[in-house]
Amino acid sequence: MNVRRWGERLAVPTAFVLTVAILAVVFYYPVLSVLREAVVRAGSLTAAPLVDVLGDPFYTGVAHHLFTAPLSIPAGVLDWIRAGFPSVEFGLFGFTAFQAFLSTLASVVVGLPGAYLLARFEFRGRRTLRSLTILPFVLPSIMVAVGFLAMFGQNGLLNDILGALGLGQVNLLFTLEIIVLAHAFYNAPLVTRLVTTAWESVDARRVETARALGAGPFRAFRDIVVPQLLPALLTAALLTFVFTFLSFPIVLALGGLRLATVEVWLYARVQDLELAEAATLGTIETVLSLALTYLYLRYEARQTTTGGGTTLPRRALAVGWKTLRDPVRIGLAVYGVGVLVLFVGPLVSMIVESVTGPNGLTGAYYEFLLNQQATTAAGTTKPLPAIANSLAFGVGTLALAVPMGIVVSVMVTRGGTGSRLAETLMSAPLAVSGVVVGLGLLQTLVFGTTIAGYRVTAGGALAIVVAHAVAAYPFVTRNVTPALAGIDSQLVDSARSLGASRFRTLLDVELPLVWTAVLAGGAFAFAISIGEFDTTVLLAEGVESYTMPVALERYIGNRSLGPSLGPATAMGTVLLLVTAASFLVIERLGGRWEP
Amino acid sequence: MDRRQFLRRSSAGVAGLAMLAGCTGAGEGDNGSGANGSGTNGSGNGTTEAGADSTATTGSASSGGTLRVATYSSFTGEDTAGNWLKSAFETEQSGTTVEFLTPENGVNQYVQRAKQGAPIDADIYLGLNTAELVRARKKLDKPLFQSVGEDLDGADGLKKPLRIDPKKRAVPYDTGYISLVYNENEVEEPKTFDSLLESRYEGDLITENAQQSDPGRAFLLWSIIAKGEENYLDYWKQLVGNGVTVLSDWEPAYQAYSDGEAPMVVSYSTDQVYYHGPDVDMAKHQLGFLNDQGYANPETMALFESANNPQLGRTFMEFVLTETAQSKIAVKNVQFPAVKGVTPSKEFDKYAKEPPETVTHSYDELAGSVESWVEEWSRLVASE
Repeated sequence: MNVRRWGERLAVPTAFVLTVAILAVVFYYPVLSVLREAVVRAGSLTAAPLVDVLGDPFYTGVAHHLFTAPLSIPAGVLDWIRAGFPSVEFGLFGFTAFQAFLSTLASVVVGLPGAYLLARFEFRGRRTLRSLTILPFVLPSIMVAVGFLAMFGQNGLLNDILGALGLGQVNLLFTLEIIVLAHAFYNAPLVTRLVTTAWESVDARRVETARALGAGPFRAFRDIVVPQLLPALLTAALLTFVFTFLSFPIVLALGGLRLATVEVWLYARVQDLELAEAATLGTIETVLSLALTYLYLRYEARQTTTGGGTTLPRRALAVGWKTLRDPVRIGLAVYGVGVLVLFVGPLVSMIVESVTGPNGLTGAYYEFLLNQQATTAAGTTKPLPAIANSLAFGVGTLALAVPMGIVVSVMVTRGGTGSRLAETLMSAPLAVSGVVVGLGLLQTLVFGTTIAGYRVTAGGALAIVVAHAVAAYPFVTRNVTPALAGIDSQLVDSARSLGASRFRTLLDVELPLVWTAVLAGGAFAFAISIGEFDTTVLLAEGVESYTMPVALERYIGNRSLGPSLGPATAMGTVLLLVTAASFLVIERLGGRWEP
Repeated sequence: MDRRQFLRRSSAGVAGLAMLAGCTGAGEGDNGSGANGSGTNGSGNGTTEAGADSTATTGSASSGGTLRVATYSSFTGEDTAGNWLKSAFETEQSGTTVEFLTPENGVNQYVQRAKQGAPIDADIYLGLNTAELVRARKKLDKPLFQSVGEDLDGADGLKKPLRIDPKKRAVPYDTGYISLVYNENEVEEPKTFDSLLESRYEGDLITENAQQSDPGRAFLLWSIIAKGEENYLDYWKQLVGNGVTVLSDWEPAYQAYSDGEAPMVVSYSTDQVYYHGPDVDMAKHQLGFLNDQGYANPETMALFESANNPQLGRTFMEFVLTETAQSKIAVKNVQFPAVKGVTPSKEFDKYAKEPPETVTHSYDELAGSVESWVEEWSRLVASE
């Protein structure tokens, strides 16, 4: 009995220490091994690389004066005013932030109505639709590029439809607009999912009480519902901004080099092995992202939200003929058309590409997959092991990232001062460029180090799962922390005073109350693992640890059917189907397992 | 790094292979990597390897043993040049095994390993281009690759323009020629670099990012040969002004071309090898050799300084230069042979077009310049 009590008492702190240890080995150590080059030259501290980059007008535009000649700024500003406020350039960083801002705005505009629809209306296939919103998240950028090209290109489906309707042509390709749309394609579902979860946890009784006390529907919405949605919405916006700030392959594939982001240069520097400059760019990106995260977390901590209780009742979406007269429902129908164009269009286009050869309909690309599976030639990438590995890594990531995320949430929710800073630092896996993480893992864990005459390296399946979990657990934390903070602390206190350990309280009182949030975080964790590419290829030992995105990437280079993206689109379709099926299963089962 | 290597190093050649075979028994023929799955440490996490820095060679040097060839991933697999080379070489040199490694970040992996004193797990690197050779030398104090000297069998038959390395480290085994591919239904053949600046070609050309794409970099380097080091930036400023689009890599660029986004794309002169026959609209697969030139981007192989068995490595390189291997590689890799007088196949000969004049940069011409050329170019494109 005593042993068990001690075990329970130590469970949360031990798990936290383990989480920090994992982060230290698989994240902080590799990343800092890269970023240190930004501030260390020949063994001593230096600011030179930072000054070089920040003082370079190519990177920072007019802001470079801040770092090269700060005293000249007042005069410069005066000149600018005298010249009649001509437009100002803020360099590569300025453009990167600008496109990220637009992308965030677009993602919120596109994502928010989706949350309203999914949280407030009942219709056939609602739960399935909700599960499928994860799909864009797992798609490799080359597939999105193929889908977007086929949908929004000059001869794309959209122009065909517009032409048939007599509405003329749109030229979106190689423009800022297409990049913003592609970013919305990836990130609006994030907004939808996070806000839907928050909306579903609004306590209906509080709304009813407000209404009973005489508040109108708008007032009740503003005072009860909005404060509950805002943290989720701002979290989603923050994540979108950070992700699109670090965006890279899709920008070059659809927009071209004229619309390059900082990450494009970071990648080029790594390719050139100019690691000090790469580290400097990575450091600036990371500092900016983490600063935003910290500001947001401080805001979030000041919000008091209370979740739990009964969910708001959903209204029927279709209400007979009246549906056509209701402005809200007509608005949702228009929104539905937009969703068809932006999400269904590219996805379906990609699937169509997978059955379209140069001379019309073909099954050659799926035949290719079957042949790959059947061959015994060395070095062949087969679809079935790729699917099996993806699912195994996904489940492993789920199993590891969910406890990690919950433990971190518990520590930062109940922690005192400094816990915002702690959570900020622990959300760093979201805020550090994937190129930097990859390079760091390569030069630490993959190359290994010599300890007592033995070369110690890490790699293989377990290392992949751990690395995926590190990338994924912040999604769990971001979902669970606000929910945990919303639990009435008296509940926890009374459970504790009745003799329940911290661990028991968490398991029996808190988790059941925030289960929706845990599930939402878990879904993201699984999706992150399924879509992950960079660390998977680095940590795979030998050739057998490939996943679906890795197989897809290798099929791009496969020339047995000529230089065709067909085999890759076929694999992309398989990836979509497997992911969709997994999510239907996960969310159904997860809903049933609610403790 | 893994148990396989440890096994090989601690036991003499053939015996080690027998052990390996024992380990893989139940595997699905997955390139003999079962050691990770069936070892005592199933995860492969934290496996150790003794004596990593020693260059253990056992047994006689010339025959038998394992040759570890690092290359890019599409060189291996079903029906590839790599798998043909492996089986043909293993048949010719009995007792020899060729093992392919395909590190995701290519030769950079080895440059970084050498820089950090981590073990180099390959004997030969195959698929190196001139700019990469420059980088490998520039980033390291000691050479990563060794010279194969004057007496490599078959090397005297190499085409002149492809002999890019005067120090004889990098030996070309095939080459592509960068050219334009254009749609003659939509545009007239662009004959020169200058013609691309004409308004009739406005918005018509798609190329690739020289920072990350081989054909993209080759096209930039070609423009430097055509316009001179002094003027190429000015030329590109005008080209950007005329609406050139610079996409990330060959795949999205060619996909955009195929979808009709633009009628010209920077690609390879082997285009028609893939696209010919009664169903293909050949108008979309016309080659434009600007200034009657094509830029050669030879693929080379080089022997690591730290190779376990340099003699076996040299034998392999000589094998790659034989006529049979040259024509097989050309057909399977869809690249031109590096050796003179080799006819890969009738079909290849008919559809793969060599430019009237071959241009390229040698190692010495790129050393010290290529990085700043690419950097200045990319800054120009991104800022316009």
